Amino acid sequence: MLKHIIRRLLLAIPTLLAVFTVIFIIVRVAPGDPATAVLGDNASQQAVESLRERMGLNEPLWKQYVTFLGDLARGDLGDSLKTSQPVWNQIRSALPHTLELTAAAIIIGLVVGIPIGIITAVRRNQWPDYLGRVVSLLGLSFPAFYLGILLMYFFAVRLNWLPAVGAPAFSDPAANLKHLILPAITLGLIEIAYISRMTRSAMIAVLTDDYIRTARAKGLQERAVLLKHALRAGLLPVVSLVGIFVISLIGSSVLVEEVFARPGLGKLMVGATKQKDYTSLQSIMVVYAFIIVIVNLLTDIVYTWVDPRVKYT
Amino acid sequence: MVRFGTRGRLVMLAAALLLTIQGIALATPSVAQDRPTLRFGVNAADLSTLDPHFASGTQDRTAVDMIFNALVRFAPGDATRIEPDIATEIPEPVMDGDSQVWTFTLRDDVMCQPWEGGEAYTLTADDVVASLEKSANPDTSAYAGDYAGWSFAKVDDATVSITLESAVSPTLFLPKVANYNGGFIVCAQAYEAIGAEGFTTAPVGTGPFMVGEYVPQTSLSLVANDSYFRGAPQLAGVELRYMPDAASRELALQSGELDVIHGIGEAQWVDRINAEGNMVAEVFGPGEVAFLNLNVEHEILSDPLVRQAILHAIDLEEHQALYGSPVAEIVYSIVPATFMPGGLTQEEAEAAGVLVTYDPDRSRELLAEAGYPDGFSISVVTSEMPAYRANYEVLQAELADVGIDLQVEVVDHATMHAQIREDVNPIVVYVANRPNADLFLTQFFHSNSIVVTGASPVTNFSHYAAIDGLIEQARAETDPDAQADLWKQANIQLQTDVAGIPLHYQLQVYARSPNVNYGHELVSVLALYPGINETTTITSS
Repeated sequence: MLKHIIRRLLLAIPTLLAVFTVIFIIVRVAPGDPATAVLGDNASQQAVESLRERMGLNEPLWKQYVTFLGDLARGDLGDSLKTSQPVWNQIRSALPHTLELTAAAIIIGLVVGIPIGIITAVRRNQWPDYLGRVVSLLGLSFPAFYLGILLMYFFAVRLNWLPAVGAPAFSDPAANLKHLILPAITLGLIEIAYISRMTRSAMIAVLTDDYIRTARAKGLQERAVLLKHALRAGLLPVVSLVGIFVISLIGSSVLVEEVFARPGLGKLMVGATKQKDYTSLQSIMVVYAFIIVIVNLLTDIVYTWVDPRVKYT
Repeated sequence: MVRFGTRGRLVMLAAALLLTIQGIALATPSVAQDRPTLRFGVNAADLSTLDPHFASGTQDRTAVDMIFNALVRFAPGDATRIEPDIATEIPEPVMDGDSQVWTFTLRDDVMCQPWEGGEAYTLTADDVVASLEKSANPDTSAYAGDYAGWSFAKVDDATVSITLESAVSPTLFLPKVANYNGGFIVCAQAYEAIGAEGFTTAPVGTGPFMVGEYVPQTSLSLVANDSYFRGAPQLAGVELRYMPDAASRELALQSGELDVIHGIGEAQWVDRINAEGNMVAEVFGPGEVAFLNLNVEHEILSDPLVRQAILHAIDLEEHQALYGSPVAEIVYSIVPATFMPGGLTQEEAEAAGVLVTYDPDRSRELLAEAGYPDGFSISVVTSEMPAYRANYEVLQAELADVGIDLQVEVVDHATMHAQIREDVNPIVVYVANRPNADLFLTQFFHSNSIVVTGASPVTNFSHYAAIDGLIEQARAETDPDAQADLWKQANIQLQTDVAGIPLHYQLQVYARSPNVNYGHELVSVLALYPGINETTTITSS
């Protein structure tokens, strides 16, 4: 297992290098001039040129690329072109909020989605199945930003139960949790839809397997058949997809962060893109790339743990 | 004797602990605790820079306006009046040969805010001179061009003189030393200690609020400067929250989580918010003017008949209806007469024969006369921002009606700005706010400012060069009335030549809780926000 992890980490190096190169190119071929974006539309050409020089944007591309890779190798993500603050500081303060939101949404998705998936599989083509499928369809059809606005309107404005916007510091866990509920539900409802559908399909396939029939023939209780024998096998595809869900959630949390005015990696990336902040944008994408590699690795490890038949050599 | 069980003892212990904590909290004197913090929803993803000499976005101007002062200031809530700020009075200029000298006496109670590693100190002429020199330096200011031919000197600790190579009127001079753009005074010792880069997020001024904490992409907390020379602010601070989503801002105001928000520039929105009862929407100046620039050197538009045809194809009411009254009003010259001297009123434009009159039949006749009976096709790029895109879309429909095919490509805002400066558009819709007529006319219609080919290219997209003399004559005129007349002549000339076509001005829209009192009437604020200072209060509901 350890050998497998080391090999996966080594293989990640060329992958990351390729990703970094693509990031570097994409950020630079994107239209718009960062110096103009910083100074605004009424700045003189002279002022814009002066700032370009100071930003190092007049250096040849290859030189900017070498500097970029060199800085990365030293763990230096650079300073924001807009605020001159170290990008790592921005990422460090935003990342926990995104991870918190993602984790909460996944937990909601698993805790609610798996039981719905099991019930709809067991009661296939009966009313609980129809109801569960309608609910999951609704979850898939509602755009996150729209759902977020609706939840804010009902729970923050009309009922005044929960706060609408912001994310207090982690040093105030109660307030932080209170601010997390609505955004987590917004993202979680979408995850419920995915996970319940996935669980339902997997359980339907497992429930028709011979060993389940054998377990029932042995006189095992239905509860034991479902939870002890069927569920473990039925969850395997869910486990492998949860990794992908986590990655896509980190990406799609941007809309929720925007609507609920929460700090986060997605919000940071959108802001950097709008402001043509090269260094921030490429550094955030680098962090994304690292997260994807790590999540994939963790998924592999969890998969081995859930299914002992899987062996890595 | 009363005996308590375990549960009872625990309850008593918890109560005692709570009372102790409350007692400590009550016993701790804190001015800030007695005052509310104003929470402000800003329509932006983040700040760009808090260096006042680079600040240009509304989100930056908003913060800068609260942190800094200037020699003189636009009266709070009314940018049409100028009054002393850190200067004791507005001086009269004196001539020294060909040069004009303005001497300012400084107040002796103006304190520079403390900063990390530095104590608060009394502002002197050294700070003012260093700050103005920074403003005049293109490496440290985006507004250096405004100060060409200016020099600054300390007379004594409380006196500063500004010498101009050639005389200008107070109308042109005072805004450049007022609380806008390069006129803001930075504290020199702090700037030197913090450095240019650090100053972008941790600037030091003399204003009623100073920077507390900045969380990128999230918020900027300003805290009260209790040493402010006009008195301690009535707010504990101002928390600027960066919230680009308009619906979120509105819901947060409605739920009481915000006190003031940047609104949506539509009359319908204003009516809806005011109808809610628990929010107040306000519309105030100055207006940002939307106007067309027509390239007079373009192979087709160089024909005055074609430009006249475009003029008659435009229905100003259609453009105004994009936002509706009172948010948008029709404007009769590119320099808006409502907000500054030098603009044309409806009567003046009519008398001069430059009123934009919608007459599509006349437009088609003019096109046929110019040799384009079947029209022609031109391409432009526009920003995705509604103020630009919507005006282009209306224009596209108007021109299509007379046979002109306007192809519109939507690009992001920064790209549009870059491309129009590369002379891509034969017709440019521009939305601008400038502090005076000279800047409007110089930047958009002086030959030096012609994009790409001008001596110092700025935003003359029309390649127009016929009013240079009037602009320069007006700039040198020291009598404000005569100067305004010259600007009006310049406006009439450029509109007669159809180098520019005024469309409408769009006012600022903000909403607040009814408990917020800005401390002044809201007529116009050059920083394009309601203006928050030491007099702003929030009363409990």
